[in-house]
Amino acid sequence: MTTSHPSRLLIVDDEVQIRRLLRVALEAENYEVHEAASGQLGLSEAAGVHPDGVVLDLGLPDLDGREVLRRLREWSQVPVLVLTVRDGEEDKIAALDAGADDYLTKPFSRRELLARLRAVLRRTQPSSEETIVRFSDVEIDFAARIVRRAGAEVKLTAKEYDLLRYLAQHRGRVVTHQQILRELWGANAEDSTHYLRVYMTHLRQKLEPDPRAPKFLQTESGVGYRLVDS
Amino acid sequence: MADPRTALDTPPAAPSSWKEYVFSAIVVVIITVAGLLLSESYYVSVGLIYLLAIVLLCLRVGRGPVLMAGILSAFVWEYVFIPPHFSFAINSLQDGLLFGIYFVVSLVAGQLTSQIRAQAQDERRREQHATALLHLTRALAEAKTLDDAVFAALRQADELFGAQTSLALTDETRKNLTSHFASSYSLEEKECATVEWVFRNQHTAGRFASNLSDSTSYYLPLVRENATIGVLGVKVPPDHTLTHAQQNLLEAFARQLALSVEREYLRAASEREKLLAESEKLHRALFDSVSHELRTPLAVINASTDSLAGANPKLSGQLVGEIRTAVRRLNRLVGNLLNQSRLESGTLKPRLDWCDAGDIVNAAVESTRDALTGHPLTVAVPEDIPPVRADFALTEQVLANLLLNAANHTPPATPVFLTAGIEPGGQRMFFTVADRGPGFSPAMRGRLFKKFIQDDDSIAAGLGLGLSIVRGFVVAQGGEVIAGENPGGGAMITVYLPHPPPKAATQA
Repeated sequence: MTTSHPSRLLIVDDEVQIRRLLRVALEAENYEVHEAASGQLGLSEAAGVHPDGVVLDLGLPDLDGREVLRRLREWSQVPVLVLTVRDGEEDKIAALDAGADDYLTKPFSRRELLARLRAVLRRTQPSSEETIVRFSDVEIDFAARIVRRAGAEVKLTAKEYDLLRYLAQHRGRVVTHQQILRELWGANAEDSTHYLRVYMTHLRQKLEPDPRAPKFLQTESGVGYRLVDS
Repeated sequence: MADPRTALDTPPAAPSSWKEYVFSAIVVVIITVAGLLLSESYYVSVGLIYLLAIVLLCLRVGRGPVLMAGILSAFVWEYVFIPPHFSFAINSLQDGLLFGIYFVVSLVAGQLTSQIRAQAQDERRREQHATALLHLTRALAEAKTLDDAVFAALRQADELFGAQTSLALTDETRKNLTSHFASSYSLEEKECATVEWVFRNQHTAGRFASNLSDSTSYYLPLVRENATIGVLGVKVPPDHTLTHAQQNLLEAFARQLALSVEREYLRAASEREKLLAESEKLHRALFDSVSHELRTPLAVINASTDSLAGANPKLSGQLVGEIRTAVRRLNRLVGNLLNQSRLESGTLKPRLDWCDAGDIVNAAVESTRDALTGHPLTVAVPEDIPPVRADFALTEQVLANLLLNAANHTPPATPVFLTAGIEPGGQRMFFTVADRGPGFSPAMRGRLFKKFIQDDDSIAAGLGLGLSIVRGFVVAQGGEVIAGENPGGGAMITVYLPHPPPKAATQA
């Protein structure tokens, strides 16, 4: 993905080696990279350089990563990708609840990092007001509320369509079970994951080349779902 | 003459009650009155009757009254019966001899019989003593714990001595005394000082003793090999006393108790020693295997990066592949160590939610793809399987560990099978991981799920934490793991999880 002007990124991590590695990987992709070694520095740097995206390590020595997120979110809607060594789902969910756009568990690959970054940066780009989203041989026409697979229309129930639309709007990014349930069933349905599983199974059966090994409608262990479009 | 100390003190050297003296005197008076009714010429017979009475008295009363009766009867007999009557005069040599012999015989008879009686009493006391100790030994032997033993011993002492007892024992450091809960009276401050003194000086003290005798109770040290391990206290009601024999018995009691306490201390110490050795062994094993497991992938990465500089594209591709594999292995190892410590710290709280069994299987297969290279994997999950209630991440880890185990313990290119489903009856759901490897030896099966256990002939198997974590995670979710044989050969491990009805779904 090439952008006309380089996106400005802020990396907040106390580990020099991680910062160096991220800089190499990101500058190779034409990003403009700024660094901060602590939560406090990160917050002031974010105010100073107005980055287009923030890569934030959760395990910082001075401030808890979540606290940094909370303070950042008081005045900024900048996309945030959280880095975490903890593979506990609670931490991930907590970070997402605190306003992170997505997370990446260390150790991660360069490919994963770039894909996640592209996805979270897309949130603030004007092109996100698109009316047609494509993945695999599937085409979703938001304006017409029509889903086609290999050119033929696929019959979806209203809830199945809503679920697909929500995932497509956030494609490339993780959406938690709770986010989906709140969006589709309202505030009181947050423990109805049983329903969600059933709809997801139906959706996969209708749209995935191999529903038993889904490639596009992916499950995020214990956290939620992610529509992967590449 | 009987030594008063070995005679085990007939009631305190028998200061016989005045009643015994009166009784003895009355006997003498009755015989005298009866003798007066007889003809004067029977005076020798009267003397023999006196003698008989003296001997009989010996069986009833103490030495003092007998002596008194002997002397009294001798003089009464001489005064009243030996002619001339009512006079101390003695007419013939024969009467003199009679009186003299009577006097000596009555004294000797009194002495001998009372000695026999004392011996009998002594015998009875010894028997009581032995019986009491036997009971104590039996109670101590039967007691399962030290507390039981102390309790039994103190209750027995209470009964035997008609007293209240207390016991203060040292802790293992042998420095501080603490009162045992089985004590039937608690130590007041002043008593504590006495107890402390006994503990320091290894000598009896308190009431009935030569030291600190103003104390209300009698205290004995429990001594083993020159160290005091406790103090036994006996509180006798103020109007009662402890005889010397009872004090001796108490000392024997204390010795027995000390033996018992020490045995218990030694047992506890050796138990601790064993535990310590065991944990040290485990620690060493863990240390060795962790350093081996960590160093191997690090060595691979190190060597690969060295060769990477100046390698041709084909080789560098290979080297990068090696590095990637080593990194995954390291990552899994760290993950397993963290998981094991989560399990052991008890902080593991499964987040049960409705999950797609197929999703879990896919995630596990995905995360172990590199390790399973070369093993054809057959996955069978029914397409219509309903959502299952599980912690996604924990169950994924369970399946991943089982798959890794299958891959690591089977010959290359042998197949691995992963199935999921709902049990007939619908109460439980299951995951099964099976292989065509050597299976589990009967010896392995019992300790399969313990940590740091590996097949002896496998070194590539990681830390031996895999199955321990599997079981921990499954049990945390309310399920169970069963190791068995794959029909047709190989190992098979089945994970069962509860499959409750979807209540949450009906609310939506």
